[in-house]
Amino acid sequence: MTPAIALVLLGLVDAAFSGFRAYAGTDARIRKQRFNARAAVRGLAVGAVLLLAPVLTAVLLLMTARDQGRTYDRLTAGGFGYLLPLTVYATAVLLSLAAYFALPFRASTLATVVGLGPLTLLRPLALAAACLGAVLNGGGGSALLVGTIAGAAVLCVEPAVHRRWYRHVQ
Amino acid sequence: MPLLEISDLITAVEPRSAHRLPVRRADVIRQLRESGDERAARLVAELPVDQDGVLDPHAVDRLLISVHTELQRLNEELRIGHRLVHLLGPLFTAIRSTAGQQGPYRLVDVGCGLGYAIRWLAATNALGADVELVGVDLDAALVGEADRLARAEDLDCRFVHGNAFDLPEAATVYISTGVLHHFRGPALAEFFQAQAASPALAFCHFDIAATRLAPIGARIFHRARMRNPLGRHDGVVSALRAHSDETLLRAAAVPGIRPLLYEPRGAVNPFCTTLRPIIGVRPHLEAPLRSALGRDARRIVGPEQLAEAGRR
Repeated sequence: MTPAIALVLLGLVDAAFSGFRAYAGTDARIRKQRFNARAAVRGLAVGAVLLLAPVLTAVLLLMTARDQGRTYDRLTAGGFGYLLPLTVYATAVLLSLAAYFALPFRASTLATVVGLGPLTLLRPLALAAACLGAVLNGGGGSALLVGTIAGAAVLCVEPAVHRRWYRHVQ
Repeated sequence: MPLLEISDLITAVEPRSAHRLPVRRADVIRQLRESGDERAARLVAELPVDQDGVLDPHAVDRLLISVHTELQRLNEELRIGHRLVHLLGPLFTAIRSTAGQQGPYRLVDVGCGLGYAIRWLAATNALGADVELVGVDLDAALVGEADRLARAEDLDCRFVHGNAFDLPEAATVYISTGVLHHFRGPALAEFFQAQAASPALAFCHFDIAATRLAPIGARIFHRARMRNPLGRHDGVVSALRAHSDETLLRAAAVPGIRPLLYEPRGAVNPFCTTLRPIIGVRPHLEAPLRSALGRDARRIVGPEQLAEAGRR
């Protein structure tokens, strides 16, 4: 069993949200569901490209390793260690989102103020925790390298989408 | 030392005529430095000026439109539109039930900025077809942008550049969102007096709830949701400048108006109430408003209930 698929899916979902955030606050129209969706797709596309970096790094590490089996095992262990904090974070985000959309406006404010707002700021911290998890779970330097590149990739999606499509939008 | 918002200082208009006045960058920087806000002074120092040191009005307009667009995102996320309708719906029900004549009624948003509240109400038709929606602001650039946005989406509302209390047609209800904390000292009571002196039947002004959580919440939220440093700065300062419940009720206690506060501090979860309104109604409207609000009427307090709660 490999954590790679779950990690890539998580990265792509995060990229879609990053695309939305890159667009949010640049358009004062009222009806903008279509534009929100487009921004999410743009985030997804940019994220898909950027996430090739950790994938290629992992492949390169495997191809150049003297003991491929051991390297694969270490990357797998590191991947699971990386996944755990991110799963906790993603669960908190999804619960906040569900509360935001399902509950009346007062409670949805709570979901935003306590959940969605602070959680956005905590993304780098969640990724740092994921890197730590990768090391602590036996991933070693190779898992830390892949994890760091993956973290940098997902953190770059929002600024990249904003700069490419929304910087001069009023 | 007084807390100052950059956006209040970089534009100036003559209040009656709404004519724009030149603003010298050095004067703004001096004011900010005197108030001990070096960071804000640095932000203003980056703004372009002409050869006389006067801030470039076009650059300032672009900046303020950009900041207000980001601010709208916050309003969307905090569902300000729903909060407005939650009170304005029952308020218009009360007005319709007591008014001698049929509509149309007129809702005027004072200091509307980009007109988010008015445009959202128009897009959702939440108050009914008999309520005309008007946004007014002294800032020509913001009103112009609000008008452009409304026309782009074919929304049934209009925007006026000028003083909300000098409109040729009387307002039935005045509203605002995030405006009250800009009025300091006697200007706050004067703001309410102007409405009491008008033919308006009620007002409902939302502003930041002055809780202990507000400044830190504003800091986190503006950091998470706004890119523009000016917007982040002013957002936090706004929370620090928010008027207390007592101040608002005192200022709104003007002849001919029954002042009421919705969701006072201490009675609600501060995490759920980032903005709360001060309401003013003609005395005959209080009972029908409470009736139209149903169970939510328990969230409304007058000055006497607030004083009593303070004694407990």
